Amino acid sequence: MSMTAPILEVSGLKVEIPVRDTVLRPVRGIDISVAKGETVAIVGESGCGKSLTALAIMGLLPRQARLTSDRIDLNGESLSEASPRRWRKLRGDRIAMIFQDPMTALDPCYRIGDQMAEILKQHRKVSRSAARERSLELLRKVGIPSPEERLNQYPHQLSGGLRQRVMIAMALLCEPELIIADEPTTALDVTIQAQILRLLRDIQRETGIGLILITHDLGVVAGMADRIVVMYGGEVVEAGTCDEVLARPLHPYTEGLMRSIPVPGETRRGETLGFIPGVVPRQTGDLTRCGFLERCPYAHASCAEGSIALRDAGAGHLMRCVLPAAGSGRDPEAWTRHSEASS
Amino acid sequence: MSETVLSMRGVTRDYAVGGAFRKKATLRALRGIDLSVDRGRTLGLVGESGCGKSTLARILLGIEDPTSGTVLVSGRPIQDYERLARARLIQPVFQDPYSSLNPRMSVEAIIGAPLKVRGEGTAASRRTRVHEMAGEVGLPRHLVEAYPSQLSGGQRQRVAIARALIGEPEILICDEPTSALDVSVQSQILNLLHRLKQELNLTMILISHNLAVVHHLADEVAVMYLGQIVERGDADAIFERPCHPYSDALLKAVLPPRAGARLPELGLEAEFPSPVNPPSGCAFHPRCPKADALCAEVDPNPAGIDPVFRCHHPNNFGAAAHPAQAAG
Repeated sequence: MSMTAPILEVSGLKVEIPVRDTVLRPVRGIDISVAKGETVAIVGESGCGKSLTALAIMGLLPRQARLTSDRIDLNGESLSEASPRRWRKLRGDRIAMIFQDPMTALDPCYRIGDQMAEILKQHRKVSRSAARERSLELLRKVGIPSPEERLNQYPHQLSGGLRQRVMIAMALLCEPELIIADEPTTALDVTIQAQILRLLRDIQRETGIGLILITHDLGVVAGMADRIVVMYGGEVVEAGTCDEVLARPLHPYTEGLMRSIPVPGETRRGETLGFIPGVVPRQTGDLTRCGFLERCPYAHASCAEGSIALRDAGAGHLMRCVLPAAGSGRDPEAWTRHSEASS
Repeated sequence: MSETVLSMRGVTRDYAVGGAFRKKATLRALRGIDLSVDRGRTLGLVGESGCGKSTLARILLGIEDPTSGTVLVSGRPIQDYERLARARLIQPVFQDPYSSLNPRMSVEAIIGAPLKVRGEGTAASRRTRVHEMAGEVGLPRHLVEAYPSQLSGGQRQRVAIARALIGEPEILICDEPTSALDVSVQSQILNLLHRLKQELNLTMILISHNLAVVHHLADEVAVMYLGQIVERGDADAIFERPCHPYSDALLKAVLPPRAGARLPELGLEAEFPSPVNPPSGCAFHPRCPKADALCAEVDPNPAGIDPVFRCHHPNNFGAAAHPAQAAG
């Protein structure tokens, strides 16, 4: 994966949102790269900044938000200074997005065929019949039965699974280099979720599209991702290959997430699950200490002595924590004591 | 011995759909539901959206009446209870704690409302009881005076649970109680529900599309498909050796958060069919990898003892173990 030049390279991505008398800093310096054909999962809970990171990469931040970055390169083209006009040209053409809820992402007033043709009209000089042909081709590719009929239907006439397939077909229309999928299967039934994920993966293998998968579901990540980026409080707290991070979570936040998920066949019925006490703090200024300190069972004095740097714990497995990568300082009992003290 | 608290016999529920612009039709949301739950047990109801699990919950809560069939609560038909008497026995916890709590009532008023409606105790005694209950569900003391908008999702769900339990109901109906929550918060609510059900000997109906959640809490499982229960039995048995191909597919669809996990191949091809016009024979046959001519014509009768299933070609029936499932 590291052989090929990355499709997307982002470094030092920051988002600031002024509210009344202060400035919120929901994304505080994120580095992400995606190689051809690679799936990078951005994982975290509500409020960790994962969706804003995606919107920033798409140039879709709300107007009042301020975006700064050291660089955003899409296949060699620098986008950090791109104009809104340039972004509009890129979106749907070279970068496409798949949203969580296809019912709100699709326009309820237009037929599927018209919505698809509009994308082609924006980015390619094509005739109406060519646009129709291309749309049909893609609807077939994403496994939609009787695509000719679907072109004339409205979004409300399709089931949730079919709508999400239409979203994927629309994302593929202009053969983008990168797709950003924000919780693409969260609104779907588990059976449909499995189908949609397989479809995304098969298409990606065939076309070499880079995929950024934003999700809170570590099960989806395990089935899809090559690499994982775990976000907490607007920062990357852990990153590495999917298998490495899931098998050996190093940051206490990742560890806490893994401990809190029941897994049939592993956890027993009624077994007390781990959890992460407290809530995500709202932080405005620069961090002068570990952002996870209040919620961490391993916290000690040195965690408060300054902001914590992201460091390589070996083989490209990055973590933002002062603990050694293995062994000392990680008493499994600490989670139980920590939970009991707070509940 | 065990005592049946809740039972349903041949319960159906039809809705009239269509009218002004579309042809009138009957949507058969429930097509003959039989089930019973013993005191202190938790029944997990699983199935895809549209299978009728929420309709079933609404009938149990008395929000809707069944079209036919009987629902017995502690041996008496549910229609025989007055509204307040029914609410004393059965209480709900809904999915979305953002919309199920009145934003203009304080937490104290929300939790105490069931007592106030019944005119139980004095204002002072109710207040004491609310504080006890808040402590019971792990809600910090200072939040009792707060309003829902000041609470996190997990705290709101604790309020919803406290409100449901303050009147000491026998049956708790939880419709997707953790779906709106983050995983680190979900685990706290699951821990809480498990502790409460044991301490209070609660009978629980747990509706969830998340099979990991059902596995974690339920003693028994009923798998629903298109208004029918297609498999029902002991949770361990169904999780280890599902007989119905649909249960099997649902279990395979669970994605474990473990290194090296692969996306499952479910073999479910077609889309979920319309409940207005259900398929002939076995409702699952158009999607079933094992379907044959018989399945397209004859709706299978319930067979087996534990689990009970509706299928002409069950998996694992009579087989001791199923290695593929034991691993997954």
